[in-house]
Amino acid sequence: MATNDTNLADRSGSLVESHKSYQPRVIFFYFVVFGLLAILAGGLAYQQLFNTERHRENERMQNQRRILVPGPRGNIYDRYGRMLVGNRPRFAVVLYLDELRSEFINEARVIRRNYAEAGDKDLPTRDQFNQIARVSVVQRYLDQVNQILHRSVKVDGTDLRKHFARQLLLPYTLIDDLEPAEYAKLVEGLPVRSPLQVYASSTRYYPYGSSLAHTLGYVGVETEITAEDFPGEDLKTFKMKGTIGRDGLEKVFDTRLQGEAGGSIFRVSPAGYKINPPLEKRLPVQGKNLTTSIDIDLQRTAEDAIEKIAGDDMIGSAVALDVKTGEVLVMASKPDYDLTRFTPRPSHDTIADIEARKAWANRAISSAYPPGSTFKILTSIAAMRCGAIQPDEPIVDCEGRLHKFNRDFVCYNGKGHHGEVLLPDAIADSCDIFFYEAGWRTSANRTPEVLAAEARRFHLDRKTGIELPHETGRMLIPDAAYKEKVRGEKWYPGDTANMAIGQGDVLVTPLEMACFVASVARNETYTRPTLLHRDDAPVQHTELIGLTPKQREALLAGMEGCVTHGTAAKTLALPEFQIPGIRFGGKTGTAQIPGSKNVAWFITFAPIDNPQIAVAVAIEGDTPNEEYGGGRYAAPIAALILKRYFEKRDHPPAFVAPAQSE
Amino acid sequence: MPKRFDQARPFLTLALVVLGWLLVPVAVKLFTRASFFELQAPLTVAASYARDLQDYWTLRLHSNSELIEAGRDLARLNASYEEAVQQNLSLQAEIARLEELLKLPAYAHYRSEHARVVRRDFSGWWQQLVIRKGRNFGIPVGAPVIFAGGVVGRVSEVYAYTAVVELISDPSVRLAAVVEGENQPISFQGGVNTSFDAPKGVIEFVPLNVYASPTMPKRLVTSGLGGVFPPGLNLGTIIKVEPSLDGLYKSGEVQLDPRLSALTEVTVLVPLNEQ
Repeated sequence: MATNDTNLADRSGSLVESHKSYQPRVIFFYFVVFGLLAILAGGLAYQQLFNTERHRENERMQNQRRILVPGPRGNIYDRYGRMLVGNRPRFAVVLYLDELRSEFINEARVIRRNYAEAGDKDLPTRDQFNQIARVSVVQRYLDQVNQILHRSVKVDGTDLRKHFARQLLLPYTLIDDLEPAEYAKLVEGLPVRSPLQVYASSTRYYPYGSSLAHTLGYVGVETEITAEDFPGEDLKTFKMKGTIGRDGLEKVFDTRLQGEAGGSIFRVSPAGYKINPPLEKRLPVQGKNLTTSIDIDLQRTAEDAIEKIAGDDMIGSAVALDVKTGEVLVMASKPDYDLTRFTPRPSHDTIADIEARKAWANRAISSAYPPGSTFKILTSIAAMRCGAIQPDEPIVDCEGRLHKFNRDFVCYNGKGHHGEVLLPDAIADSCDIFFYEAGWRTSANRTPEVLAAEARRFHLDRKTGIELPHETGRMLIPDAAYKEKVRGEKWYPGDTANMAIGQGDVLVTPLEMACFVASVARNETYTRPTLLHRDDAPVQHTELIGLTPKQREALLAGMEGCVTHGTAAKTLALPEFQIPGIRFGGKTGTAQIPGSKNVAWFITFAPIDNPQIAVAVAIEGDTPNEEYGGGRYAAPIAALILKRYFEKRDHPPAFVAPAQSE
Repeated sequence: MPKRFDQARPFLTLALVVLGWLLVPVAVKLFTRASFFELQAPLTVAASYARDLQDYWTLRLHSNSELIEAGRDLARLNASYEEAVQQNLSLQAEIARLEELLKLPAYAHYRSEHARVVRRDFSGWWQQLVIRKGRNFGIPVGAPVIFAGGVVGRVSEVYAYTAVVELISDPSVRLAAVVEGENQPISFQGGVNTSFDAPKGVIEFVPLNVYASPTMPKRLVTSGLGGVFPPGLNLGTIIKVEPSLDGLYKSGEVQLDPRLSALTEVTVLVPLNEQ
């Protein structure tokens, strides 16, 4: 046996390593290993001691998430503090997914086991198992809600998957925009401590529906909300949807109305679920309020009047200004749209309907029409200022037709002839022949420079600068240079005649004409309109028109004559349009848009001896070449606005202080 | 070693019991809990009967004159209540007629089940009552409970002869309420109430146009929209509302009826369609 052992030892001598207690070559490796360990320890120490901040930052970036919540928008009020646009609560039932982690895991385990027991060889992937589990758990909670609300809503798997991928930290909305009764049922039906909760957000609230729709504008969804001075800008951020002004005042004053976003920073688990409580939290703050110059009573009067007198879905607008301050009291535009159908978002049907009715445009600022005979006020001023006519001078004998410059010029107003009229009656009866002649007299060299210059003095050739988007730039005061440039043609006396009665290429907006008549009322040349109300708004003072008292008296007599015995008198004599105790002046106009429809105009201000309110109304006819007169269709609308204004002046509404000051 | 083991034995036993309890199936635990309560209930009920007997003997100590006087007072009260009952009947008939006339939806109908309070259990965590009626009187879980001052709470657990009522001062009770005269539902929830404090609750999602203060309080009543409580029942008095920072709503504080902590009789409204 011993022999065998020896043999084995001999044979294994080459295989079994024998060690000496001291091996110099191993010592070398000790140094190597020690050196490597030293490097490792040094590196570790360096990372721990000198790179602390970088690792802390990495850890922060990896483990913290930021959630931003938009602040509610500010409210919009009318000049008496009545809310025009506010916020209404919008309730939704949401599921806090971060409280369901263990349920998801257990559900996935059960589903996996069921598959295994069923012997199904076509097993889903791990991700698919998780997705099935999530849908199953969420549906279970949704069924609780369904049971309370008697609904049968199903979970949208794709939507849930997107939410998990992109917005895991935000609650998952199961049912949005609950009715008050549904909200009440859930409040009583859901346990207080449940992942299911009723969640409140805000959406725009329009107490007056379609009133003032174009001016107020609407909001759209904004995903890029920011929270200034809120830490964690470099963190992965989840943002709740906010709003952004898309039109009207909502757009122009978006920065002011926008609330301050709030937010919170959470630590998250490796799976991405948030860990309460938050590390940082800041509540959102409502945006600043806006007090407009609009009087909602007058506004609704104007809108109702347009619908009643012109007809449903007729195109037209009415603007009323405070003569002294230029504050816009009314800006009605028809057809309009119901703003309540824009919350939470307009449907395709709503948009299609608005487009079909051509209701997007704010006609008060975006439609440029020939002003028709309302322009005769400007022609009168220009002619008197340059001495071409005198108030007591009958410059022409109107026989209904005038042959001059080798062509016939027709007086379109009045069935008979006006005869030898003076300026007041020419304005009151809107005698075209008189104003053809006045126009020619202002243009010694047959060019319209004096008329055009006068129109420019009243700023009729440019935008008013009102605080609204989409004000058209198509307003136009033509002259010889313009015609030569655009059409390559000379300016003819016929062009001057057309311009003198507000036809031809002259284009103005209803807002411009409201500013014009407000300026005339103040005996000045320019009124800057504004939609913002200030209690201490200054009286506007601009360049005086420059008429002598006699000339101004004749001008005002003509305007008053228009409503007492002239072109607007017949309609305004009806009892519903009478304004007891108020003398006012106006001018009708019926503009022809060549090849298209007529536009009925009326401009007015009141009272004539102490002007306070100026109104311009323009209504498009709906039938080409129809006789669509301003006296019949536009003047009554203005009269109803004036009537309501003076009723309110005697019985002003109490001012309601906005909930939050500006 | 044995001595040390002896010293550790109680802790080991406790640990074994706890471990054993943890391993027991949930169904067994629930059964045990229910059984415990059912076993305990007769004691509680017996104690309440003993209290009634005590009250009886206390009354026996009164003189005949006092009892006669009390009897007269009671008779007068009964007479006035009889009159009130008659008025209520005629008003109910009038309401039914108006509802029919206006085609208003009829509210859920209830059967009143009066029950004696046998135990009050108030703490910072819960606020409960145990009443002396349970399944034997057809009381269902979730039934609203009221008293002369308005809402008491709702039934949370029902046993054979007793039922547990969560008071509206309990933080786990939430219901839809309205400010008297308004129609927008708001959320009412019991507040954090300690044992001897005046009970209070909190309200959320209050419209911005609602104002209330201790000097100008507003009454809070049930909305009837939630489907559990009939409308118009008194919940308490709003004594404070403050706007939330986001400017959307207000939240506030509601003072509840102090008698909630001293109730001896309540009425359970058993929905008729539950039966």
